[in-house]
Amino acid sequence: MAAGGVHHLAQCITCHAWNADMSMVAICPNNNEVHIYKASVSPNAVWERVYVLDKHEQLVSGIDWAPKSNKIVTCSHDRNSYVWSLEGNEWQATLVILRLNRAATSVEWGPQENKFAVGSGAKTVCVCYFEEDNNWWVSKLIRKKHHSTITSVAWHPNNVLLATTSTDSKCRIFSAFIKGVDARKDATTAFGDVKFGEELIQLDLACCWSFGAHWSPSGNSLAYVGHDSTIHFVTDVGPTPRARSLSLRHLPLRDVLFLSETRLVAGGFDCNPMLFGSDKNGVWEFISFLDEVKPPAETKTDTMFAAAKGKFKWLGSENPSEESTLSTTHESCITMIRPLVPLSERHPENPMTLFSTSGLDGRVVIWDLNNVGDALARLRL
Amino acid sequence: MANTLRPYLTCIRNTLTAAMCLQNFPCQEVERHNKPEVEFKTSKELLLNPILICRNEAEKCLIESSINSLRISIKVKQADELENILAKKFLRFLSMRAESFQVLRRKPVQGYDISFLITNFHCEEMFKHKLIDFVVAFMEDIDKEISELKLSVNTRGRLVATEFLRQFT
Repeated sequence: MAAGGVHHLAQCITCHAWNADMSMVAICPNNNEVHIYKASVSPNAVWERVYVLDKHEQLVSGIDWAPKSNKIVTCSHDRNSYVWSLEGNEWQATLVILRLNRAATSVEWGPQENKFAVGSGAKTVCVCYFEEDNNWWVSKLIRKKHHSTITSVAWHPNNVLLATTSTDSKCRIFSAFIKGVDARKDATTAFGDVKFGEELIQLDLACCWSFGAHWSPSGNSLAYVGHDSTIHFVTDVGPTPRARSLSLRHLPLRDVLFLSETRLVAGGFDCNPMLFGSDKNGVWEFISFLDEVKPPAETKTDTMFAAAKGKFKWLGSENPSEESTLSTTHESCITMIRPLVPLSERHPENPMTLFSTSGLDGRVVIWDLNNVGDALARLRL
Repeated sequence: MANTLRPYLTCIRNTLTAAMCLQNFPCQEVERHNKPEVEFKTSKELLLNPILICRNEAEKCLIESSINSLRISIKVKQADELENILAKKFLRFLSMRAESFQVLRRKPVQGYDISFLITNFHCEEMFKHKLIDFVVAFMEDIDKEISELKLSVNTRGRLVATEFLRQFT
């Protein structure tokens, strides 16, 4: 098993986020609270709950923990978002004026942590920044560009470009440059000088709802998945991007994570993380599943005659339905994948080998690619 | 006749495995609400194509899916009038007690005998593969139950008639 520690924390986990040095993890156990656990990466550690944050009134749909400023941002189906900061031994909440009239579905801090983006069911994306004069977080909305609920948001490393995926099956890239918060020179991206809310690229590669947008560490590539069991890789994101789509024979995926420029891990309804890699020509392919699945025990038949007899018996009779058993670490859909390497230790040459997945079975599983079987180790990461 | 049962049920099982990829989805039309989209059908982009699996003209299964809910409607085999009445009464008995089944719908969809409504909340509380096992086992057992009921009705009728007519011989 490539899995490290398996921690069953609740009946169902909606989302999770790690702090800067991977010593604490914040999860939402499928209700309106956020639980913060003192965690550790070692497989035998027992995680203890240290804080409970409960300001929200409905399901908390997104959590993100800013590594440098140690602030947590949460968004919920009650149309609100809070920014939490640790003061002494208490987490204090600051309300964010989102101006949303539908549920918020996902949230992510920008790389410089002076902005964050919230996707919502109101078909708008809110980009929020801190206003010093009034001491609260205000938002600028990107309206009228999406045709349906936004499922995920992802910031480019340059803190200006924002990718969003939506249930209208498209992935879009916007400019989220805010005057006064971003320096003028940041505005010059691969697209030139762009103002806030301008839709730069619309990717229409999936035929069904799209989820899980994620940028590669350098920002050169973007990946997202579609509910039609496809995964799409877009490289050289700029005025002339190149895209590669893979149709998979398995159940749809939900979230992706770039481990390096050439390796990506994705998880979904198969409950088994999948590893994808690109070769030197930049062509992405599926490499393997990361969870070693034990095949179900087979009943032995001594002779060929007995086996043949069994076959006829099965065909004619009212067979009691086969007992389906699970053999993966996660027993239900994987909904979120997070890296487990602190920002300071991330290197463009060193691909990440440690990441965590959380799922609807209430488990947070730590994966260490160094422990993966021989066949995979031979494929140098 | 039994030859078509296995492929029919395998087909339904595979379709359900694919269709039961549900997730929590807050309502787009009304704030703070969470509704099974397959029932309300307000946003066309949230619905998937319905699939109709027919064993023969008399037996079929309609599977409609959406982002957070799945509706399975079954039409059971009804060969003659007696089976018609028995099926209707039996399935009505079950539908009335839909609360205890959790995934059953109180009224079948128009044109079908019984319907299931499975939402993402059911998938969070219960195992997906167990839910599918339940639906497939239900379909197998329905046929058996109705045959048994028909047999017992016929047997009872024959016994009663024999006893009654005995007094005339």
